[in-house]
Amino acid sequence: MATPSAETGVVLDPMHQFVVQPIVPLHIGGLDVSFTNSSLFMVLAVVLISLFTLASVGSRSLVPGRMQSLAELSYEFVANMVRENAGTEGMKYFPFIFSLFMFILFANMLGMIPYAFTITSHIIITFALALAVFIGVTAIGFMKHGLGYFRLIVPHGAPAVLLPLLVVIELISYLTRPISLSVRLFANMLAGHTMLKVFAGFVVMMGVLGGWLPLLAMVAFTGLEFLVAFLQAYVFAILACIYLNDALHLH
Amino acid sequence: MRLAVELVAGVGVGGAIGWGLDWWLGTKPIFFLLFLGLGIAGGMTNVFRSARRMNAAVSERQRTERTAGDSPSSRDEV
Repeated sequence: MATPSAETGVVLDPMHQFVVQPIVPLHIGGLDVSFTNSSLFMVLAVVLISLFTLASVGSRSLVPGRMQSLAELSYEFVANMVRENAGTEGMKYFPFIFSLFMFILFANMLGMIPYAFTITSHIIITFALALAVFIGVTAIGFMKHGLGYFRLIVPHGAPAVLLPLLVVIELISYLTRPISLSVRLFANMLAGHTMLKVFAGFVVMMGVLGGWLPLLAMVAFTGLEFLVAFLQAYVFAILACIYLNDALHLH
Repeated sequence: MRLAVELVAGVGVGGAIGWGLDWWLGTKPIFFLLFLGLGIAGGMTNVFRSARRMNAAVSERQRTERTAGDSPSSRDEV
């Protein structure tokens, strides 16, 4: 993958940014549980979110300051999203959706800082998040409706002959939820960051004479990537709300 | 991008279930092919659903914009 360019001698490897490197190697019972750069950025995201929410509401002034209004804005944003998509019953699960949204948003935004590691560009991270949503929503559905939750995969008004086929199709479509949820976030982040690095490589390769055009494209793509970073966090959270709605109110 | 992921995920899950059943029951291609077809159907269902959801979201936004656009003029009349 690494290709040293002849003129500059710079090693261009757009995938190098995704390598997980151990910072504190740690092996317990044959398992590699090292503290890696991925873990570091996860901890960083959690710490930053905690600081952001705790520090900004610490003063609790009636007229919010800058940080407090940012925190209130994000609260309102997620609260409205949950209320609109999962109903007032869904507000019980607001803390989970809020944490999910903030974690993905901060992870994506931290990834936009040069030399930072984008944890959401690894499918195992996004898949673990999606699986948590999937298992949680399925458990909520069964807790609320008991075995009646299976009605979700039985379509209304279908002829009895087609029912076995339709149930299998609905079951597969239900099982694809964690896959599509995780692949969407992971693919967007991976593709975007690879593209940024490839264009950055063009700037270096084409030098002072031809490098301006890819540099201009880089600026535009960076803006686009900020949008994608926000949008993907939003899409992840809103789909979690929609799945929650399905579990709470069977159609 | 969103719709493509839905379709691919459907095909992937269907294929995986079929492959697993074949591996378990030793009936090499039968279940794989069957569930691949079902997976494509499931993926298509998901594509239709999310397309309808996007459509609903857009028309909802248009409706709120229209009502928001109406209110100043009605206020003018009053």
